[in-house]
Amino acid sequence: MSGLLELEGLTRRYGTLTALDSLSFSVPTGQVVGFLGPNGAGKTTTMRAVFGLTDLDAGMVRWNGAPVGQAERRRFGYMPEERGLYPAMRVAEQLEYLGRLHGMSAIDAQAATTTWLERLGIAERADSKVDALSHGNQQRVQLVAALLHGPEVLILDEPLAGLDPAGIDAIGGVLAEQARSGCCVLFSSHQLDQVEDLCESVTIIDHGRLVVTGRVDDLARSGPRRLVVRVEGDRDASWARGTAGVTISEVDGGAARLVLDPSVESESVLRAAMAAGRVTEFVFERRRLSEVFREALK
Amino acid sequence: MRGGLIAAVLAVVVIVRVWGRRRRRTTGQRQTHGGLGPFTSDVGLVAAREMRERFRGKIFRVGTLLILAVIAAAIVIPTLDKGKPEPQRVGLVGALSAPLRAAVVSSAKSVGTTVHFVSVADAEAAHADLRSGRVDLAIVEGRELVVNKPIGSTDISTTAQFVDAVSKNLGIVEAVEAAHLTAAQSSELAGARALPVHSLQPGAVKGATHTTSLIGLVLIFVMLSQYNTWILIGVMEEKSSRVIEVLLAAVRPIQLLTGKVLGIGLVAFVQASAIVVFALVLAKSVGSDLLHGTAPVVLASTLVWLVLGYAFYCWVYAAAGSLAERQDQVQSLAFPLSLPIIFGYIMALTAAGSASPSSFFKVLAYLPPTAPFAMPVLVGLGKVTWWEFLASAVISIVCTVGVARLATGIYRRAILRTGGRVKLRDVLTRAAG
Repeated sequence: MSGLLELEGLTRRYGTLTALDSLSFSVPTGQVVGFLGPNGAGKTTTMRAVFGLTDLDAGMVRWNGAPVGQAERRRFGYMPEERGLYPAMRVAEQLEYLGRLHGMSAIDAQAATTTWLERLGIAERADSKVDALSHGNQQRVQLVAALLHGPEVLILDEPLAGLDPAGIDAIGGVLAEQARSGCCVLFSSHQLDQVEDLCESVTIIDHGRLVVTGRVDDLARSGPRRLVVRVEGDRDASWARGTAGVTISEVDGGAARLVLDPSVESESVLRAAMAAGRVTEFVFERRRLSEVFREALK
Repeated sequence: MRGGLIAAVLAVVVIVRVWGRRRRRTTGQRQTHGGLGPFTSDVGLVAAREMRERFRGKIFRVGTLLILAVIAAAIVIPTLDKGKPEPQRVGLVGALSAPLRAAVVSSAKSVGTTVHFVSVADAEAAHADLRSGRVDLAIVEGRELVVNKPIGSTDISTTAQFVDAVSKNLGIVEAVEAAHLTAAQSSELAGARALPVHSLQPGAVKGATHTTSLIGLVLIFVMLSQYNTWILIGVMEEKSSRVIEVLLAAVRPIQLLTGKVLGIGLVAFVQASAIVVFALVLAKSVGSDLLHGTAPVVLASTLVWLVLGYAFYCWVYAAAGSLAERQDQVQSLAFPLSLPIIFGYIMALTAAGSASPSSFFKVLAYLPPTAPFAMPVLVGLGKVTWWEFLASAVISIVCTVGVARLATGIYRRAILRTGGRVKLRDVLTRAAG
C-alpha cells in the first residue's frame, strides 16, 4: 500500500478568527507523523477537515492525487478528540456496526472486532456497555473503531491523552505496526517525548499556519550544535555565562545545556569549562523535539 | 375511499423510489454493498440499528403493553355492558290484557332486554315507585304510560328505547282492537314487517364509527408525540455523546438522518399496525360493533395519516434535536413543536363529536401539521370524498419534501456545532450565506 495524503491551502474562518490559514502539508504512507501545535493552533480543525466535518472556506484534501470524497473517507479511520461512542450500546455490537458503516460485511466486521479486542486486551468486555468501561478501555474501543476496517489513512486526535504507560505502549505499538504495514498515520499529541519516540516525522502548526515539517532525525540534527557540560562544584554553570558565543538553554542540577554559535569551536568551550573546575560531563546532544517545538513557535 | 387510500400509498412508494434513484445518480459512488447502493445500504444499517435499539428498550415494551391494555378495555367493556342488559321493571296499575302484555314483552325483546312485571296498588304508588327507581315504567289501566323523567329524542339508553317501543306497540294493539278486525286480519297486521331500506353507501353504525375515530385520534396523538420525541432525543444524544463525528466520518448527514427517521418510523408503524390488528381481532372475537359500518375505513385512514403525519413531523423534530446538546434544551425545543399537534388533536376531538364539522375544521384537514388529526375524523363522519382525501395526502407529501430539505440543511450545519445550544437564526443565516 502506498499513497500520499495532501492538504492544500486549507482555510477556515470563524467570523474574525482564522482557524486555518492556507495550511498545506502532506502525510506519506509508511510513517507515523506527529501533528503538533499549541492549544488553538488548528490541529483538530485540520483533522476534521479531512473528514468533511468542518466546512472549508478554501483548500482541498487529496488522497493519491484525487480529491477526497465520501467513498475515500470510508477507507479512512478517525479517532476524534472528544471520544464518541454510543454509551448504552454493547462494545462488540457497536464496533461491528461502525465497521459495517465503513463498508465491511457482517462476517468481516465480526471477525475484525474479535481480533482487535483480543489484540488490545479487552476481549472479555465485548458484551459490556461502553459506559461501563474505564477511560483507558473506552480509549481502546475508540481506537478499534478507527482500525477495524483496515484503513488506508489513520487520523487520530490526541490518542494518548489520559492513558497510563501500559496504554500508551499498547496504542503506540499499534500505530507503529499500522505504519509499517503501509498505512498513512497522522496523530496529534501534546506529549512531545512520546511523539519523539513514536514518530518518524512531525508537522508543527501555529495560528493555522505551517511552522515546521520534516523527519524527526533531520530536525534534531538541524540548528545550532548543543552541548551538555557539567563542572564539579559549579551548580549554576556560572563559568559559561561569560563565555562568548555560548547561550545557556537550561541548567539542571549542575548540568548546563548550551547552544553554540556557528563560529564557536567546542574545544574552546571545553577549555573554558576546564579552567573553571573538573569537567565531569561533556556530551554533544541532538535537539530534542520539545526544543524544536519551542524554537519553532518563538 | 379505499381507492384513494391505495392511490396515496402508491404515490408514496413512487416518490421514495424516484428519490432513491436520483440520489444514487448524483452520488456516483461505487457499489460496495452487494446489490444495494452505498446510500441505501448505509441508510438501511442506520435504520436497522435504530429499530434494534428501540425494540429492545423497556419504554417500547411497557408502552406497547399499556396501549394494548387500554384498547382492550375500550373494546371489551362496552360489550360486557351490552351483553347483560338489566331487565326493565314495569309497574302495572290495574289489569293488562294478554295481547297488551305480549306486546310489552315483545317490545323488550326488540331492544335486546327482558321485562319484569310488578303489580302496583294505584297510580300514586306507581309514581312513588318511579321516583325511587323501583320501576322504570308504569302502565296505568293499560292505557297510560308514565316515566320518571322525560325521554329526549337523542336518548339511546335501553330504557328509552324500551319505552319508545312499548308506546308504539301498545298503540298498534289498541288501534287493532278499535278497528274490530277479524282474527285473520289482526294476525296479518301483527305479522307486518317493515319494508327494507337500501342505501347507496355502506351503512354506518354511528356509535361504533365515532368510537373508532376516537381510538384512531388518540393513537395518532400518542404515537406522533412519542416517536417524534424519540427522534429529537436520539439526535441530541448522538451530538452530546460526540459519536456523531465518528458516524459522519463514514456516512453523509442525509444518510444518517434518513436512516434514523426511517428506523424509528418503522418501529412506530409496526407498533401501530400491531395495535390495529389486535383491536380488530379482539373486536371480532368479543362481538364488538367496532368493525361495523365505516369503522374499518376509519382505521385504515388512521394508519395512512399516522405515516404521513410522522413523515412530516419527524424532519422538524430531527432538525430541532440537532440544535440541542442537553436534556433541558430538548424540553424548550419540544414545547413549541408540540403546539400544532395538540391544537390539531383538540380540534379533531371536538369535531368528532359533532355531526357537521365547521368550515375551519375542513381547512385544517388540508394543512399538513393538522391534517393527520382532521382528515381521519372527516372520513369517520363521511364528510370527505376520496379525491379530497388524496388531495390532502398529496399536499402533505409535497410539503414534507420541502420540510425535509430544509431540516436536513439545518441538521447538517448544526449537528457538529458544539458548546451550547445552536440558534436557529445562526444556522439559517449561514445556510443563506
